[in-house]
Amino acid sequence: MIKSPRLWTGLAIPGTTWLITLFAIPFYAVACVAFGTIDPIFRDAAPQWNPLLWNLDQAQNILVSLTSGPLRGVFIRTVVYVISAMILSFVIGFPIAYFLARHAGKRKLLLLSLIIVPFWVNYLMRMLAWVNLLSPSGLFSRFMSMFGINYNWLDGSPTTVILGLVYGYIPFLILPLYATLERLDWRLIEAARDLGASSSEAFRLVTVPMSKAGLAAAGVLIALPMFGDYYTNDLLSRSPNTEMLGNQIDFYLNNSTQPQNGALLVLVMSLFLAIFMSFYLRSTNRFAKETVK
Amino acid sequence: MRRRDFLRNLVITTGGVTLGGSLLAACGGSSTTTTVGGLAIGTPEQPIKLPVTTQAIADGLANETGVLEILNWADYVNPESIALFEKQFGVKVVESIYDEEGAAIAKLRNGTFKPDLIFGMSATGLAKLVSGDILQPLNKSYIPNFGNVISGLRNPYYDLESQYTVAYMIYGNGIGYRTDRIDRNAFTSGNGYDVLWDSQYKGKSGVLDSPRDTIAMAMFRAGNFDANTSDPAIIKQAGDDLIAMREATNPKVDILAYTELPAGNRDINFTWSGDLFTALQYLPEGVSPEVLGFWYPPKTITTNDFFCLTKNAKAPVLAHQLINFLTDTDNALLNRSYVGYQPALETITVDMLLKSGTIPESLVDALVTPERYEVALSQVTLDPEIDALWTDQWIAFTAG
Repeated sequence: MIKSPRLWTGLAIPGTTWLITLFAIPFYAVACVAFGTIDPIFRDAAPQWNPLLWNLDQAQNILVSLTSGPLRGVFIRTVVYVISAMILSFVIGFPIAYFLARHAGKRKLLLLSLIIVPFWVNYLMRMLAWVNLLSPSGLFSRFMSMFGINYNWLDGSPTTVILGLVYGYIPFLILPLYATLERLDWRLIEAARDLGASSSEAFRLVTVPMSKAGLAAAGVLIALPMFGDYYTNDLLSRSPNTEMLGNQIDFYLNNSTQPQNGALLVLVMSLFLAIFMSFYLRSTNRFAKETVK
Repeated sequence: MRRRDFLRNLVITTGGVTLGGSLLAACGGSSTTTTVGGLAIGTPEQPIKLPVTTQAIADGLANETGVLEILNWADYVNPESIALFEKQFGVKVVESIYDEEGAAIAKLRNGTFKPDLIFGMSATGLAKLVSGDILQPLNKSYIPNFGNVISGLRNPYYDLESQYTVAYMIYGNGIGYRTDRIDRNAFTSGNGYDVLWDSQYKGKSGVLDSPRDTIAMAMFRAGNFDANTSDPAIIKQAGDDLIAMREATNPKVDILAYTELPAGNRDINFTWSGDLFTALQYLPEGVSPEVLGFWYPPKTITTNDFFCLTKNAKAPVLAHQLINFLTDTDNALLNRSYVGYQPALETITVDMLLKSGTIPESLVDALVTPERYEVALSQVTLDPEIDALWTDQWIAFTAG
């Protein structure tokens, strides 16, 4: 075994450089915008690079708005939408991943391709296609009306936005889940059945616990982008009643003269998402330890 | 991002004052400067003669050869018009696109964009461009068609004597609607804005995703016609009224009236007049253009954008020539047939547009007439503190 600490330090340099260049510095820049000021002439962000001079007044305003002002509703709505979309994604995605891993047989590659290929198309194009399909004169709406279901999907309803989130991100849930399930030792399930467990008990007591790492990874993979998503709501609703935190960030950064508020919301969201990440890291760590035992 | 996004962004930093009388005053030319947050701007009450730091090009220079670079919004000039210009002058026009005025100005300042000619800048943008020493004055001897521009805009409040700018398109704020679903009398028999608050259009209405425009609309409905107001009570009332509208009709907040009205997805939409002309191109096959209507409120915001020439232009003579080309009446009509918006030329009359067969009778009200222009309201940049009050109300409305 190579014991030279210099070698290991040297090998860590590329990763450290990557982390500093692509995470630490940009994150610090966002903080400098958030706690900076506005150029009085050009009305764009004037970052304050010296942390000792950071202006915290605006942060206080945003926190008040998030806890008891207009942004509180947006924040709660975003959490509810994301959790609803995640639950629905698991309900839809887990059986698909399970089927692919366990029962697809020779058709596995074909079925995997069928799931992945539509997602080669740009997200925007796919959503615009849905806008056409769901519009009152669209194909899907007309098809549903044949069965007496006349529902205006695009009238700014939360259901449409949540379904849009599910549609947009579900492949990112299916694929890691599939990868986890495919590696499962199915003999353990057979053993559980041999020992008297019903199929549902074997699933609940063996398959699910052994899939925890994949479930956590899939959950994190879709939760992170869903929290920052704004274009799904932009394209499928655009109603104030479905506004998400990402829409407010977009507004502040692109369409207002208060870009620092957008940067502050980014920081708040990052801190919130850190909770998800810590949960993921803890659960994978615990799972790794259990596996070693 | 298209032209509509520009309009949305434009009004974020601008507000409203009466245009007509002040434009006439501007022709007289007092030029007391108004400073907002360190930015010297013109207002209809206090027009501005912008400082000049460089000379315009000399008279009688030959046209440059090669390439003319323009910076423009997406789909905001007719490619056919550009092709005609290229053929006439034997040059190549290269177009760069910008999708947000503030970002475009930042890129002009740092040299990312190096165009000869800029299309579609707003008065707010102009103040910043001049402050950043990015523009050069125009030499009108190259623009004989300048006389075609609406007289009030030949000496506009934001640029007295049109030193830097030539007006391009003009438009007003009002309500687009489907004539097959809403009777025109609904707007003229009472307070026309109330139709937007009518719950029978729940899920079938929309307002502009433009804080300054939409909040000002709520103010106009309440009878307050200062679209630049700094009165917190009026701003708050407008925000509360918009929340009441949201609860009654759950409106869409976007800039898609030009596609949603013709598609029949909406019955009514607060929008820019020019959008209704663009909407004609989006009508499904077999649907009459007469289904589109527009209510132009008696007192509303009417505004324009313009061409301006960069200080470091490599082909300044050609840039002047293109301005002149597009302010020619026939060329402007050709350009309008693609862009949809109304050229800011007084030689293009309402009768002429109607006779051209490109505008249905139901959209006559979407045209900016001299009478409408005379009583129009304008928007100017707000102080940051006041701007924050407007933004707060917008957040309260859009947060749902």
